[in-house]
Amino acid sequence: MARSFTQIPPGTQILIGRAARRRRVLERAICSVFEGWSYEEIIPPIFDYYDVFAKGWGQEEQIYRFIDREGNILALRPEFTSLVAKTVATRLVSSPKPIRLYYSGEVLRFEKPKGGRQREFAQIGVEHYGGSRKTADVEVLLIAVETFQRLGIQSFQINLGSVDFFGGIVDRIELPKEQIDTLKEVLNIKDQPGLEALLNTLPLEERRKKILRAVPHLTGGTEVITEARSLVKNSRSVEALNHLEEIYSIFDRLDLARHLTIDLGEIRGFDYYTGILFRAYVRGLGFEVAGGGRYDGLPAAFGDDVPAVGFSFSLDRLEQIVTPTLDSTSSEDGAVDVDSDFAKALQLRQSGKAVKLCL
Amino acid sequence: MLVIALCKGRFLEPSLNLLARAGICFADDVASSRKLIFDSTDQRHRVVLVKPADVPTYVEYGAADIGIAGRDVLLETGADVLQPLDLKFGYCRIAVAGPRGTPPINGAPAMRIATKYPRITIDYYNARGIPVEIIPLSGSIELAPLIGLADRIVDIVETGQTLKENGLEVLEVIAETTARLLINRAGYQTKREEVRALIQSLEKVIA
Repeated sequence: MARSFTQIPPGTQILIGRAARRRRVLERAICSVFEGWSYEEIIPPIFDYYDVFAKGWGQEEQIYRFIDREGNILALRPEFTSLVAKTVATRLVSSPKPIRLYYSGEVLRFEKPKGGRQREFAQIGVEHYGGSRKTADVEVLLIAVETFQRLGIQSFQINLGSVDFFGGIVDRIELPKEQIDTLKEVLNIKDQPGLEALLNTLPLEERRKKILRAVPHLTGGTEVITEARSLVKNSRSVEALNHLEEIYSIFDRLDLARHLTIDLGEIRGFDYYTGILFRAYVRGLGFEVAGGGRYDGLPAAFGDDVPAVGFSFSLDRLEQIVTPTLDSTSSEDGAVDVDSDFAKALQLRQSGKAVKLCL
Repeated sequence: MLVIALCKGRFLEPSLNLLARAGICFADDVASSRKLIFDSTDQRHRVVLVKPADVPTYVEYGAADIGIAGRDVLLETGADVLQPLDLKFGYCRIAVAGPRGTPPINGAPAMRIATKYPRITIDYYNARGIPVEIIPLSGSIELAPLIGLADRIVDIVETGQTLKENGLEVLEVIAETTARLLINRAGYQTKREEVRALIQSLEKVIA
């Protein structure tokens, strides 16, 4: 038999029966949380022009692309945010703001399958357009918190950073882009010896070196913000700190601060992020289960300058940790057995009963 | 409980010494036992023994919260883990070596390079625009240039004695490597107190 009939391509998966039910139950539970916060569903296309993702999302090497018969370069969606931003900036340009949308579906990325996530994997998330910055940031974070709680996950941690804190520091450093990239690389893995070795080769003032040395350690509660304040003076970083502190204090008043970690060393993320940036982890799973942030410049790239924030959960990863109480029963359970009496089967169906024909 | 992945082999002894100095001790003799899992006497840490090249994988997937492995292994696997500490043992150079008197590269066709580190080797030569053919081997790398399998090798060099005895010499140093502390990204957040405490006690003993 042809190899293509017996093997499945690396990076894909097939969910059947119980596994598929689990997926749908989980999906519905999360959608109901999103709907509870007045988010409307959007079902975008599975492919669009390559430029939409290349310009919006970056990560070009991970995009599956193909050419249509007219010669246009198209791409299978590697994520939803660019697609939704494009729609908001075009079709929904005159809709009253804020616009609240949620999505659920498969995305495709050409990357090494890792942590229960294949090349095709399921994302579910929200996008908030046009609200006030503070309110919208807090709103999406609260939705993420409620999602975890609704799924019965108690020990989750949201790691909150801001691209503006590090951005404000880097703005003031005159270094070629490659050196900034190397700097980001060592900070990203909290590689202190690597950072020290790099700083020794860079022509920076001692004060700046001191700030950069502190970055990997700036993670914890509000004490981190106090410490960071004593280090930076530039307005971009200071505003980022004020903003994070405000979010933290709101979480504190809501008795949710235990789920929040301020992490100013968190500088990873897609090119489109412009403000807060967060990743969520659950005890017992080695990979993040959700991530998001603010991307004010993205709708503008598609023609409408409107602020935006959002996040997405990885359904494939959530499935590995969600308690099985969510499992529904099989569709065969409770079905009435009927032999070849089709009339009886129809009658039972009309009265709302499940049937199983025994042929 | 924190799970710590250690490598079998030359790193095991110094890794256990370091943990002992940080107050993590084991009732069993970890180095000589044939078991693979050991709980510390205070029941707060569990050590698992794996192959050196696998330590980053265990940590990246969160099967272990923490690991100790050489920087060479980290560079080779490219695992996405936090690497906050240099543990200051197991110093080696990752180097290109060849027969004594090997001339510099100039306009030669693609060189054949035998190595246990295909990724580090490719990255090194790609960054210099030099075409090479990688011959992946898993041991006795020094043999390859001696019997015509490869022109050069990329390997870790501790004292240079093995190279010398086989008529080879270091031509270029790619990077230096020592033992590193590896931490899973999720564990760093979800087991913050325990992980921080361990980093701090290790920092004290290596200072």
